[in-house]
Amino acid sequence: MIGSKISSRYAKALFSLGQDDGHYEEYGENLNEFVSFCSTKNEFIRVVSNQIFPVEDRKKVLEVVLEKSSFSNIVKNFLRLLVDKNRIVAIDGITDYYSRLTDEFSNITRADIITAKPLKSKALDNLKRALTGLTSKDVRTDVKQDDTLIGGLIVKIGDLVLDGSVKTQLEGLKESLKRGEYN
Amino acid sequence: MIQFKGKKGKFVLIAGLILISLFIFCGLSFASEGGGHGGTDGSQRLWDLGARFLNFAILVIILFVVIKKADVKGFFSGRRAEISQKFEDLKKERDAAESRFRELEDELKAFETKKKEIIQQFEAEGVAEKEKIIAEAEERAKQILEQAGLTIKREIQAAKDRLAMEMVEAAAQRAQRIIEKEIKDSDQDQLVNEFIERVEKLH
Repeated sequence: MIGSKISSRYAKALFSLGQDDGHYEEYGENLNEFVSFCSTKNEFIRVVSNQIFPVEDRKKVLEVVLEKSSFSNIVKNFLRLLVDKNRIVAIDGITDYYSRLTDEFSNITRADIITAKPLKSKALDNLKRALTGLTSKDVRTDVKQDDTLIGGLIVKIGDLVLDGSVKTQLEGLKESLKRGEYN
Repeated sequence: MIQFKGKKGKFVLIAGLILISLFIFCGLSFASEGGGHGGTDGSQRLWDLGARFLNFAILVIILFVVIKKADVKGFFSGRRAEISQKFEDLKKERDAAESRFRELEDELKAFETKKKEIIQQFEAEGVAEKEKIIAEAEERAKQILEQAGLTIKREIQAAKDRLAMEMVEAAAQRAQRIIEKEIKDSDQDQLVNEFIERVEKLH
């Protein structure tokens, strides 16, 4: 909870700057790149976030990376600030929250689609269109496959869950039988 | 007046009487012996008679004096009174004993009566207690039977429910295995299309 509050506070601050200068999308892309880099270089993020090392040393390590990056100055300064404040460890949460802010600002919503079998492109387009109609927002999808669903699919948009899986239908049928609804 | 009371007095009286009797007997013997050596028979006989008479008179006097002194009458009357008193006392004791016997007999009868009453009371209480225990036992047995009946019904229902659950689980697992085996890509497409139609209906 505390982590999410910190992440939202920092993300909102950066997004506010991005809104002012109109480069919020670029800042978001920079953050995503930095997070991707950190996920591939675990040692880097461990060193930068480790408070055993002096802040100056950690900032030097960060500078080496930033020099080789094409990040905007705002994002670079933002990352330096996170190291100064020992909040660099929350970079994943900050990036996620920043993405939500940009999506909201751009009238975009994200839908997690879990399907039992690969979706055909036509079916995915139809589904996007249907979800856009449902949410009145531009829908960006993230499709994953889960064989345990047996058949059908599940869509999650924020707190909204649309479950059309065979597994859930079987569970519902089983519960109905247990309650004796078919006696 | 001399009174011979007690054992010592009686002893003195008897001893006096024996001495006087011996004295008279000796006198009479001596007198009869002296008569054999006499002169004339008539005077001797008269003398002998006089002596005998004198002896007798002395004897009577002595006896009278002795009896007078010894208060034999008083002795015997006292003895009679004593015996009479003793008899009266014994009679009283006998009456008292008889009275006590009757009292004890009455007490015994009362005790017997009381005993019978107590026995009857205890018997009555015992019968009442027995009936109470039997009634309680019957009531308890009835409750136990009712409880057992309820328990049996509950257990049967629980067993039915468990069996139904197991059947449902088995049926669901079986259905899942069949669907997993039989489902095709066309079924998946149909499921997706139906899902899209349902989402569109939500607009």
